[in-house]
Amino acid sequence: MKKQFAGVAVTMLVAAAALCASLPARAQQPVTISVIIKNHRFQPAELHAPANVPIMLKVKNLDATPMEFESVSLRVEKVVTPNSEGMIRLRPLAPGSYNFFDDFNQEANGVLVVK
Amino acid sequence: MRLSCHTCALLPTALFFIATSIGARAQDRPVIYRDVETKYVFGFTEGSGIGLEGEKEFSFDSEARIGKRDGRYGASETKLEFEFTPNQYVQFEFGPFISAHQIRDVTDLDNRSQVAFGGIFGEIRYLLLDRGPSSPLALTLSVEPEWRRIDETNGERVTNVELEVKLNADLELIKNRLYLGANLLYEPEGTHDPDHIGAGWEKESKGGVSAALAYRIVPSVFIGAEVWYLRHYEGAWFNTFTGDAVYVGPTLYVQLAPKVFMTAAWNTQVHGSDVEDPGASLNLSEFSRHRAKLKVAFEF
Repeated sequence: MKKQFAGVAVTMLVAAAALCASLPARAQQPVTISVIIKNHRFQPAELHAPANVPIMLKVKNLDATPMEFESVSLRVEKVVTPNSEGMIRLRPLAPGSYNFFDDFNQEANGVLVVK
Repeated sequence: MRLSCHTCALLPTALFFIATSIGARAQDRPVIYRDVETKYVFGFTEGSGIGLEGEKEFSFDSEARIGKRDGRYGASETKLEFEFTPNQYVQFEFGPFISAHQIRDVTDLDNRSQVAFGGIFGEIRYLLLDRGPSSPLALTLSVEPEWRRIDETNGERVTNVELEVKLNADLELIKNRLYLGANLLYEPEGTHDPDHIGAGWEKESKGGVSAALAYRIVPSVFIGAEVWYLRHYEGAWFNTFTGDAVYVGPTLYVQLAPKVFMTAAWNTQVHGSDVEDPGASLNLSEFSRHRAKLKVAFEF
């Protein structure tokens, strides 16, 4: 009984690991887009990207305080320290609008429009 | 542990006032209903959320079962849970849990008052169907193996292994405000020689389905209700039906701070059947009269 459960658990772990490992292999060449945050505002506040291709989002923080790029619909969060930049890899996205904000200063908002 | 009606009424009321006062403070700023992680907004029903890539979380997640047919009965398991999301498709959780039992004068159970290390668990969640701007439905598969050294029901020392497999679905009915959640559960388990008579592994399984609604009354607070239908069987593959139960109850989710949230739920058994007690209108041998959930989580 114990072995049966262990077998099922191990099989599912291996399957999950295989799924995770397969993701980068499926990936296409990403499109790079950039946004800066300055005076606690995203510039530009509206970004554009093509649909159904992976996206590399460069976030440059020009403020003297750290920021956290966060988006539930993009399913990412990343802290970017002052006067530095962070790279965020996004999965291929369906057409539509995806909101994002700075979790350390929630008045900073932006949107990624995918077409 | 029999809670008075007064206590039962007081707890959700207190939680509601805490929640709405937090919500009121949030109203000082312009009201923005951001996208939300749905995993914890439905109570015992789990939403499809798998967290955000790069997010880590530590939480205290306590589930209590309260009340049997007679005597005083209370049991709980509290998970000390670490959760992380390595990419945009999968989430992992693991940790130990603490078991607590308070049993007095319950038929077929020994009197007991104890708190003990209960076991360990792990969970993998994989996003099967992604919610998008034009697709309000999301679906996640979760698989949770558990090893338990304290019996969930009677608190005796055992060796128990369990595998909880769940499909978590949710549908966004009103953008960022109203969500419908549903779970499908299959939970086989085995306990080694529970009566200490050299009987080997005793297998059982549970199946269930749930539906829940969660409405966001202010940006940081969801309230809702859920219904669960659970069936219990002897054997790991739904072999012999032994009884079922229907639970209903309210749910609450509060974002206490940008990186801190709590979720609570209270379920009461409103109908049940037990093949060994055909006249009973509730199943209080395999299920409890009430169950409660309280989770407080810190993200970092």
